[in-house]
Amino acid sequence: MEEKLSSVAKKFTPSPIQELSDLAQRCNAINLAEGFPDFPAPSCIKNAAVSAINSDFNQYRHVQGICDELALIMKRMYGLNVDPLTDIAICCGQTEAFASAIFAIIDRGDEVVLFDPCFETYEACITMAGGIPVYVALDPPQWTLDPDKLMRSFNSRTKAIVLNSPHNPTGKVFSIAELEVIAEACCKWDCLAITDEVYEYITFDNQKHVSLASLPGMQERTIITSSLSKTFSVTGWRIGWAIAPPSAASAIRNIHVKITDSAPAPFQEAALTALRSPAEYFETLRAEYQSKRDFAVELLTSVGFQIQFKPQGSFFLFAELPKNCLLSDVEYVKELIKQAGVVVVPGRGFFHGESSLDQSSKECCSYQSRYIRVAFCKSNATLTAAARKFGELMNATGYPRLHF
Amino acid sequence: MATISTVSTQNDSAGPAQITQQPLQVAKRLEKFKTTIFTQMSSLAIKHGAINLGQGFPNFDGPDFVKEAAIQAIKDGKNQYARGYGVPDFNSAIAARFKKDTGLVIDPEKEVTVTSGCTEAIAATILGLINPGDEVILFAPFYDSYEATLSMAGAKIKGITLRPPDFAVPIDELKSTISKNTRAILLNTPHNPTGKMFTREELNTIASLCIENDVLVFSDEVYDKLAFEMDHISMASLPGMYERTVTMNSLGKTFSLTGWKIGWAIAPPHLTWGVRQAHAFLTFATSTPMQSAAAVALRAPDSYYVELKRDYMEKKAILVEGLKEVGFKVFPSSGTYFVVVDHTPFGLENDIAFCEYLIKEVGVVAIPTSVFYLNPEEGKNLVRFTFCKDEETLRSAVERMKKKLKK
Repeated sequence: MEEKLSSVAKKFTPSPIQELSDLAQRCNAINLAEGFPDFPAPSCIKNAAVSAINSDFNQYRHVQGICDELALIMKRMYGLNVDPLTDIAICCGQTEAFASAIFAIIDRGDEVVLFDPCFETYEACITMAGGIPVYVALDPPQWTLDPDKLMRSFNSRTKAIVLNSPHNPTGKVFSIAELEVIAEACCKWDCLAITDEVYEYITFDNQKHVSLASLPGMQERTIITSSLSKTFSVTGWRIGWAIAPPSAASAIRNIHVKITDSAPAPFQEAALTALRSPAEYFETLRAEYQSKRDFAVELLTSVGFQIQFKPQGSFFLFAELPKNCLLSDVEYVKELIKQAGVVVVPGRGFFHGESSLDQSSKECCSYQSRYIRVAFCKSNATLTAAARKFGELMNATGYPRLHF
Repeated sequence: MATISTVSTQNDSAGPAQITQQPLQVAKRLEKFKTTIFTQMSSLAIKHGAINLGQGFPNFDGPDFVKEAAIQAIKDGKNQYARGYGVPDFNSAIAARFKKDTGLVIDPEKEVTVTSGCTEAIAATILGLINPGDEVILFAPFYDSYEATLSMAGAKIKGITLRPPDFAVPIDELKSTISKNTRAILLNTPHNPTGKMFTREELNTIASLCIENDVLVFSDEVYDKLAFEMDHISMASLPGMYERTVTMNSLGKTFSLTGWKIGWAIAPPHLTWGVRQAHAFLTFATSTPMQSAAAVALRAPDSYYVELKRDYMEKKAILVEGLKEVGFKVFPSSGTYFVVVDHTPFGLENDIAFCEYLIKEVGVVAIPTSVFYLNPEEGKNLVRFTFCKDEETLRSAVERMKKKLKK
């Protein structure tokens, strides 16, 4: 009965992240693969959720207070004027906000520009809506944006560009200059932008995340998506949002209502507490993740990696395998699980080599199987244990054993 | 209402930067997506202090043992991403419950997908299994997400209307509508808004037509535990049907926790695959602590369900008797917590006008059913009341109607 599957569903393959997670679980490996914390969520936010359940906030609801808080935050952080009554849709996580946004604006045949590498879910969504993904490769090792390459990817069929910054998997934070290039392309071609800003509060070395919508000419054409998940370590609560001009926000809200109807009620209540967190909370979050980032960089360096690009944000480190390591990313990850008991993600799942516009160099795709993604959103105990395991890879003479 | 612009402002050569304030272009599929009638009626209700018998959620809360399980899960740190298709223990609980209810043994790992409510189960099923241009049969009146989601998938909708007084399936019309070109048929039993429960004869007929024409069935059974006048029958339990049926359900109605958004889809592996693919990009994963609590809920003893039914039957009696005394023509409702009535004795021109009058002049909310039909005209005589409210609220609503609603 396979013919009963929709033609798009047939194209989908199981997530490599999920499969390796299963292997890792069987080997009882330390998980530096999946992008969620293994330390607890902040107590005051958990308490707020508990209190909401006890206070009978358990039926369908829309908590307008979330929109009010977000409007304040958008003004404070990015200088954006957002109307809490018309410009915000609360969804089941950034995932649903993004899906609703795509379904709200993409018609069959519309092209959507994406950066390569990128998070695997965007393409699935765009394809399901009948859109055509067009990839613009960021250039390793610094993952720089080539303005000409970007401009060449736009045409009259381009409907939107997707921007994820801070970026999964590279940890890149797009600079103001790069944002200006993107804005120029959008305005020139009268296109929309959908941003994924879930790591907005996780930036390092005094870098600040700048929202694309805050650039001149951009607010009227940008749909911002984000969530509580990464900022408040509650990836399992499913509270996210889309912020956009009223007509788009309204469309997104209407679609969301047909997809899930509403986000979980008690967690909407808890979101109020979360969004009212004082500045100190965000400072601490940043500082703690920065020290984890430094630890992860040091950890990989000590086993022979040359880290050419230190993450500027997010909680991922995207590292190229050492030159003397002849394994592919997948082989390395499997060996790492078996020999060191640590699991990370092979980078190839984030690349879309065949679709990439720039096929000029025959080496252009070979780096795509040479990267691993390490998640450092883990407790210090986990990171220390991982460091110890990595340390065991070094043989008696001090050279890494894991090169074949 | 969303402003919809389908006029392209793009031209073939890059022009200078435009500083226009044009409305953001939204997709053509949005013609079916408007602000829901529920939101409109609820706003009007608040404005007039009306008693809300419109929107289908209880004004009483869920059982303590389930709430406590969720609280414990939050405290125990179950706050990160659940496995995409469901927390293993919850999948197992769903499979166990399904076996108890239908006798069917299913694999929780391969045949159960957990979603954010039954609404998402419907969306994931349709988006995962329906191709643009596929014919899908829909019984009207229907829950309003069906039509919208089908249009999102680009389906060709063929409607068959269920008519009062008993909303029986018009078999001849079904036989002439279904064909080898039909991809799927959407079923909702017990049925929202009418409260109809599909009989074994009706299900058998539908089943044999589906087998004959190789048609899938998407069966929404959220109200299966609110079956009052007859036993609920799952389409999947009929011979030859499990392999072509997606059975959808949720926690919300059975446990009065509609805001938790815990639902699921049960289907054979070759159909589950499509549901899971769509689900992965719609919401990726479902709320983790609530899934732990839902596993506890589904293991509730039979006494819970017996008491649930008894409570709802008492509420139903209050409402139905009251509506009859007020002068409505009340149609028999066998299941769900809804009842549909003919409002025409009161002389308003259609269902929307009647509902507005009912809110403003009488202070009670009902839902106009025309939004649940492909052709709104077919619903103009009917409105839907709900009895998922505490008894005092139901009695007050009835009193208001007796006092102020005159023929």
